[in-house]
Amino acid sequence: MNTDYTGPLRRLILVVLVLMLTGVFLIWRIDSPRVERFRAQVTDSIVPNLDWAMAPVTGTVNLIRDFQSYRRIAKQNSELRRELRQMQAWKEAALQLEQENARLLDLNKVRHDPRLTFITGVVLADSGSPFRQSVLLNVGARDGIVEGWATMDGIGLVGRISGVARNTSRVILTTDASSHIPAVVQPSGQRVIVAGDNSAAPPIDFLENPDLVRPGDRVVTSGDGGVFPADLLIGQVAADPGGRLRVRLAADYERLEFLRVLRHYGIEPVSDTNDVLRPAAAAMLSEGKDE
Amino acid sequence: MINLTPSRLWIMRATFTFLIVTILFFHLLPLQTAADGLIWPDLILTFALAWSVRRPEYVPATLLAATFLLADLLLQRPPGLWAMLALIACEQIKVQSRSLRDAGLGTELASIAAWIVGIGLGYRLVLALLLVELPSIGPALIQIAVTVLAYPLVIATTHGLMRVRKGTASDIDGKGGRS
Repeated sequence: MNTDYTGPLRRLILVVLVLMLTGVFLIWRIDSPRVERFRAQVTDSIVPNLDWAMAPVTGTVNLIRDFQSYRRIAKQNSELRRELRQMQAWKEAALQLEQENARLLDLNKVRHDPRLTFITGVVLADSGSPFRQSVLLNVGARDGIVEGWATMDGIGLVGRISGVARNTSRVILTTDASSHIPAVVQPSGQRVIVAGDNSAAPPIDFLENPDLVRPGDRVVTSGDGGVFPADLLIGQVAADPGGRLRVRLAADYERLEFLRVLRHYGIEPVSDTNDVLRPAAAAMLSEGKDE
Repeated sequence: MINLTPSRLWIMRATFTFLIVTILFFHLLPLQTAADGLIWPDLILTFALAWSVRRPEYVPATLLAATFLLADLLLQRPPGLWAMLALIACEQIKVQSRSLRDAGLGTELASIAAWIVGIGLGYRLVLALLLVELPSIGPALIQIAVTVLAYPLVIATTHGLMRVRKGTASDIDGKGGRS
């Protein structure tokens, strides 16, 4: 009977299959972008078709989770009241600052970057593996999404676009091990890298002077490298029990549902430094040449 | 006992495919977007192994290779490597399936556990040799452990709910001429 599974034909099929799979893996190792594009296309053709089933199941599970949280509602209520009182104080401060800010902007005739607009997408699926932190959005090349654009929820940075297919695009979250984001710690202004490590709070790398940084400081993107726009909120500094500084992320990673993809067309490089520094001298030089 | 008519054979193959797609579907539901979540056993591998022991003819190598590759692509793993290792494990289990059928449950569990741990470590070894970015070792070991632990439950489901059972001696004798 064993001949059924060890016969020469089966052996041949097995060898061919193993070689094919090994081939796929080696091609991926050599020419990763091409295979990743193929992967994005496969995902694009399968996952949106499952959406009709995924949406209700996700909804039901979230409903059950919400129901469990209703049981703790009295406790939550008192917590919320306390938080609300604190928030009202903050709101007052924020309103005053907003008015002041508006006055100052008006005085300066500042216009915010009109090109920094966003596209909102819905989260279709997550990575499905505990070793990868990413989500799949229902917007893709069709909606003009470009690889590398920053993604936020309402408050903080969530990740960057990596892998765009026609109808879907993948967002690598800031918690993923392959995510390294150049950032600035405010108010000390130190430049750091926020490097994901598959934990909920990514650690801060390349910090020059840890004494200047305190838990609670804000971490925002620096715009270095030209991938992300500057000044997007990432989160707050927190120290873990081992004393390592990490970022407590501002975005709510527990419930990623709607994400904003920021359109970003790169930062224009300053190429005419000579003119900027010494316009008069440059003008004189060119005049001298003419004569 | 079960009559192995061609229609039954194809229905069971379709059932296996459906099972794998369902597992993938639940993996992909956007419920666990935060890091530090639970680590689930690799159910696709355990079901494939359990079916390979019980009814090798329901899970031909081609079907296994296709489903594993699909899982690799959808679950953001390096495509091909895990599929190749899992396929080899399943095929080796099929070769041993006759003796595993006659031996007790303990032998089966030990053999399967050895394969799961073996390909789990082999996977990391190959990735390390080819300088691919490795997932951290802690969660990876936990996943191997929970996969081994989940196997008895998977057998119970396979045996009880899906009625995929080891062929008895008479059954095998009856189908001896099948090639």
